[in-house]
Amino acid sequence: MEVLERPLTDSPQDLDVIKAVRELAAGPLAELADDIDRRGIYPKSILHRLGELGALKAHMAEPGRPADYGLAIAAMAEVSRVCGATGFMVWCHDVCGVYMEQSGNPALMGQALSDHANGQTLGATGMSNPMKTFAGIETFLLHAKKVDGGYLVNGTLPWVSNLGPDHYFGAVADIAVDGVVTNEIMFLIRCDAPGVALRDCPSFSAMEGTNTWAVRLTDYFVGAKEIIADPVRPFIGRIRAAFILLQTGMGLGVAQGAIDSMWSVERQLGHVNEFLDDRPDDLQAELDELTARIMQLAKTPFGTNKQFIIDVLDARAHASELALRAAQSALLHQGARGYLMTSEVQRRVRESHFVAIVTPAVKHLRKEIARLSAEELPA
Amino acid sequence: MKTTAAWLLFICKACGLIYDESKGDEDSGLAAGTRFADIPEDWACPLCGVTKADFEPYVEETVQRARRPVTGGDTVRAKRAAGTVIVGAGRAGWQMAQALRAQDATMPITLVTSCNGDVYDKPLLSVAMARGIALDKLPREKGAVAAQRLNIKLLAHTEAIRITPSSRQLRTSRGTLRYQHLVLAHGAQARSLPQFPSALCWRINHLQAYAKFCRALGEIKQRVAIVGAGLIGCELANDLALAGHSVTLMDVADRPLAATLQATQSQQLLDAWKALPLTFIGGAGVKQIQAAGLRGEKHITLEGGQTWVVDQIVLAMGLQTPNQLAASAGLAWNNGIDVDAETLATSVAGIHALGDCIAINGKVSRYIEPIGRQAKTVAATILSQARVPYASTRVPLRIKTSSLPFTV
Repeated sequence: MEVLERPLTDSPQDLDVIKAVRELAAGPLAELADDIDRRGIYPKSILHRLGELGALKAHMAEPGRPADYGLAIAAMAEVSRVCGATGFMVWCHDVCGVYMEQSGNPALMGQALSDHANGQTLGATGMSNPMKTFAGIETFLLHAKKVDGGYLVNGTLPWVSNLGPDHYFGAVADIAVDGVVTNEIMFLIRCDAPGVALRDCPSFSAMEGTNTWAVRLTDYFVGAKEIIADPVRPFIGRIRAAFILLQTGMGLGVAQGAIDSMWSVERQLGHVNEFLDDRPDDLQAELDELTARIMQLAKTPFGTNKQFIIDVLDARAHASELALRAAQSALLHQGARGYLMTSEVQRRVRESHFVAIVTPAVKHLRKEIARLSAEELPA
Repeated sequence: MKTTAAWLLFICKACGLIYDESKGDEDSGLAAGTRFADIPEDWACPLCGVTKADFEPYVEETVQRARRPVTGGDTVRAKRAAGTVIVGAGRAGWQMAQALRAQDATMPITLVTSCNGDVYDKPLLSVAMARGIALDKLPREKGAVAAQRLNIKLLAHTEAIRITPSSRQLRTSRGTLRYQHLVLAHGAQARSLPQFPSALCWRINHLQAYAKFCRALGEIKQRVAIVGAGLIGCELANDLALAGHSVTLMDVADRPLAATLQATQSQQLLDAWKALPLTFIGGAGVKQIQAAGLRGEKHITLEGGQTWVVDQIVLAMGLQTPNQLAASAGLAWNNGIDVDAETLATSVAGIHALGDCIAINGKVSRYIEPIGRQAKTVAATILSQARVPYASTRVPLRIKTSSLPFTV
């Protein structure tokens, strides 16, 4: 695999991380990508290795090292460039780290967070439903009731990715008192705890290897040790930009992978490909500009200013749109060879679709931008 | 087996599979190190099944990514029919569309606006009540009808989010538009300050806000405070008072229209207003606005400590140009979008601007008359016609305080 001409981040230590991730991606991950896609192989060892390389914790500060969201995004992009499904799982794990780190709950920090940050334990996120509920698109699927020392939660989340018997993930349940929803709690669900059942999901395009399960909770007990946030809404408001910014790593990576595929046939097919729209140099220029913009936004991942949030939402939408265009164009550039089921090019088309529809989807992003942009008038 | 020569690569002409002599192809029984020449003729490409004869030698070459090896690509690639995109459907936006369509019947034109796109005369908003113009009579033409008449695409209720000049794209809340020329005609907004929460104070700078304000007023006479006694504040105060509302007009200056009229003229205006339910409070700096009471009343607290209880508050402290869109494109800014005095071009190629959002040498002009001339100037540039240099001229200003109108 050819390397990017431009370093993604500044410090030599960061470059080492990116270089190591790139090697892992171009080697073992590239070899496994087709199995992940078509045989549903879950790349657990790759995820552990990414943790060892420091690729899963760049966005969380450690003693002597500040948090660097730009580096976390760049690492996710390097993974997504080769395998979008694995890139998505990196995001699932990364954002679970944000929940734990920002929870302020000692039980979710300390050793637990350190194991998570280094990829020794693996985490995920079941926040699609709550995010859509807060945006007025869905209603809560998990329901909690107060009991001695905590809550009992019931309900089913239709699909949660990057799960396993020893994994855990963040989720939200509403709390009804006498049938009226009064509040919500955000908490960690441990897949091996009593009351948790993982159930098979239908097949997913491009995401078969992501260990995606339906999760049914039956009287699942949430104690103080599992609480991420209570109340939930201010917490979500605070981590919202970080949550969305991290996702841009998927779009940037899938787009870069597609551009790589265009270049790989340029010598043989350039004489006909020059008649296509969206040529690799144009797309690369647009991708580089967008990357620079995202790196700038990533310097203040916890911003809450309205214009900043609009910028973040738009950057995420742009990354999705660019991934769609690039993947589509890469298929046209490669022609029949890209259409083979074994080709990464057609796999990437499906990955780009996923980037565009995973919550928040392009349509959700635009709706939210319109809502935030609207002029407020008295009632 | 010769092992001294370098390993060679062969590419399948059908599917692009590369046979690497050093690796062989285990699946089809070719051990690592099998020379291509030694492969049986009936061997088939493991990927697509074509025969050995369909392979050719392949030499790995790194493609220089910065430049495509095939030349002439840029000239071959047809320019997309991106046309002109206009942001804003006030007078400036519609005049721009009109000026372009008058000269070019086929150019694709897209008008992007956060409002519904209806065509109306904004100056009427501050005199409509006294003239008895019903709300539904204010739009001269529905946006969709005007769009059809001019054969343009109208994207109503659409937010322009960001410009990426390098790829000539305008990102909006309804998708991304490519443009060959972009014209910013998005106007300005009512100025605000932190002590004026937007949920409590009206900012009436377009028809939709005015319509909502009128509906909030309803049929009952209300207590209305207008903050700012400039042109719009005085005209609105005059209009609302004539309609029977009890109006308190406030300004930090000690007389109305202090920036436009001489002291004696301000006094004449105050005298003319004596017959109306209109009180002017000079030297009034607003400290705080709060919602109070069950009927939606608002409390205005002045710096001096006095408190006023009103039903509605209207801000008329002047206009300011929103800068997000201009900033996203890196446009030069000088009190507004900095444009060339003669061509109205912005500092970035392919982007022009006119109307309330521009500033020429740091000066804004927020009047109606220049807009038509500005549109002709920009149209001439876009259509590569003979230049029509724009000239800033001072136009007489009519202050439509009907109790005592002024022309200055």
